[in-house]
Amino acid sequence: MKARILRRDEVLKIVDRLRQMRYEVVAPFHGRGRDTYFDTVTDNNRDRIQIHLPNPYYPPKKFVFPHIERLMKFQRSNGDIHIEATYEQPKRAIFGIRSCDLAGIYHLDRFYLGREFRDVYYENHRKNLFLVNIVCTDPDQDIGEDCFCICTDTGPAAREIFDLQLMDLGDEFMAVAGTPAGETLFADPIFRQGTPAHIEKRRALLDQLRHSFKKQSTSWFSTTVRYISHSESLEKTWEEIGNRCFECGGCTYVCPACTCFTVSDRQIGPNEFERVRTWDACALSGFTRMAGGFNPRRAVHDRRNRRFFRKLAYYFIQRELSMACVGCGRCAAVCHGDIGMPTVVEMIRRATDEVIK
Amino acid sequence: MSAGTENIYLPKMAVLDRVVSEIADVKTFYWRFKDAEAQAEFKHFRPGQFAQVSLFGVGEFPTSLPPSPTEDETFFTVRQVGSCTSALHRLTPGDHFAVRGPYGNGFPMEQYYGKNLVFVAGGIGLIPLRSCIVYALNNRDKYQRIQIFHGAKTPNELMYVPNLHQWEQTPGVECYLTVDRANNGWSGNVGVVGSLFKKPGVQVPVENTIAFVCGPPIMFRFVIKDLLGMGFAERNIVSTLERYMKCGVGKCGHCCIGMAYVCVDGPVFTYEQIKRLGEDI
Repeated sequence: MKARILRRDEVLKIVDRLRQMRYEVVAPFHGRGRDTYFDTVTDNNRDRIQIHLPNPYYPPKKFVFPHIERLMKFQRSNGDIHIEATYEQPKRAIFGIRSCDLAGIYHLDRFYLGREFRDVYYENHRKNLFLVNIVCTDPDQDIGEDCFCICTDTGPAAREIFDLQLMDLGDEFMAVAGTPAGETLFADPIFRQGTPAHIEKRRALLDQLRHSFKKQSTSWFSTTVRYISHSESLEKTWEEIGNRCFECGGCTYVCPACTCFTVSDRQIGPNEFERVRTWDACALSGFTRMAGGFNPRRAVHDRRNRRFFRKLAYYFIQRELSMACVGCGRCAAVCHGDIGMPTVVEMIRRATDEVIK
Repeated sequence: MSAGTENIYLPKMAVLDRVVSEIADVKTFYWRFKDAEAQAEFKHFRPGQFAQVSLFGVGEFPTSLPPSPTEDETFFTVRQVGSCTSALHRLTPGDHFAVRGPYGNGFPMEQYYGKNLVFVAGGIGLIPLRSCIVYALNNRDKYQRIQIFHGAKTPNELMYVPNLHQWEQTPGVECYLTVDRANNGWSGNVGVVGSLFKKPGVQVPVENTIAFVCGPPIMFRFVIKDLLGMGFAERNIVSTLERYMKCGVGKCGHCCIGMAYVCVDGPVFTYEQIKRLGEDI
């Protein structure tokens, strides 16, 4: 792995270089209050890009898997119908993606591209995507109440998937290239060789960071994965979890690793229709309801069980070689019933422990 | 445009040839792809697989493939229930729609060579099983005894009547019919499908036998009970599951139950597997 050092005041020059290379660069910005968001960098907002800030509630997943995406168009003319697949292949860079969200993209890669059927729409978004990861080093800004990437082993410093990784060492930043594309940036004079002292500083900082997380439940996670995979979790616990679910679908909406979608047709002209896919959520009762009304998943706790089972069962972790939970804590932050992933993991671990120990 | 990767969501144009009314709300749609090559490729499907049917501006739905790959014609038999199936029912010969597939695992008919086959179908449960039955009859020397049990609410609701008559008269095929309520001078059996198993003269082979069971949930549960009671092993009872589906290729997530995506890991499962999925059938 190649690493370089650059000055704090030159970090945003990476954004400039990427824009010169014709990338549409998206980066995190501050909104009002806690609100933060990813937006396209322009000449006007370039100086307002934030290096340290609370991770936006909406993950950058939408840049590879948009909320709404047209798959194809149907055109009717002279009694005949023409089907045209519509593709978008942006050249985009995400600057400042957090390690958890990077793990989210890794999971989407495994899910959409790593199996028997490849998803061409996802592939098109992903193909030219350049990823600049920023390691969460600021305990006040970057690491939130609900962050638990140390439990899912996805952060605070990502080990792969990024093209370039930046880590704040104080006065300077360390840049690590994860791909040949990332390494080509090192030709720029803003980067200089590091010293063993820099490496040591990085290691010391990462060690220290582990203690900045509010949730310290690594062992609970693996225990719960084991209980769920061996069907040892209790129906009673799922009922309790189900009772607290408002069925708003918020957890799936903010999840960087949720993959489900629905497809619908709509008319866009007198003789023209389009087929679009939109995000869907297994928390919603219509998710499994068939034409004719039969719904195999009737109770709320069945649906809650489904979501967590899909994310935590060893079978699925092995199937994708990646877990569909990346420890970002967003579900915990948005859930009105306080049944985000960390709570559920703890509830299942405790309830099952009581019975089997 | 993307080079290389095939678009798994893109259907191919098909044209409707003719429509045959089966029972109330259920029709059979004979169709073919506009492109002869697509038609030839599609013909390699396995009994028990399914296809996605597109109605432009309405949507897409999964449906069983009732023909056997050993037959020449391609067709769907569809009950009118939701918006997509209603749109299909409104089409007339010459109209266009689109199809993609075949998808799913299908029944491993080759693994059943040398075995007895017992088909138990309730109502439109005969649609997916028709494919296996015709396949087995067209490969008659590969299988031992073939028994068909079909039940419907009334005589008017028996499926594929011309086929039933044909099967009743085919030597080496035991075809038994029953209805819940008799009318129209029905002289056959009255009762649920399971009642046929106990009729004098009927002897269901249990050893070296695969039982195919398809039908409404209540019928399914009772038939399974009967079969297990007769001594069938759970792994020798097979069925196909239905789920709400959008993509058919393991991406949209709607049909995922237990550890399986019905669309890619199914829709054919043994009863042993179904039990472990842990959801209503």
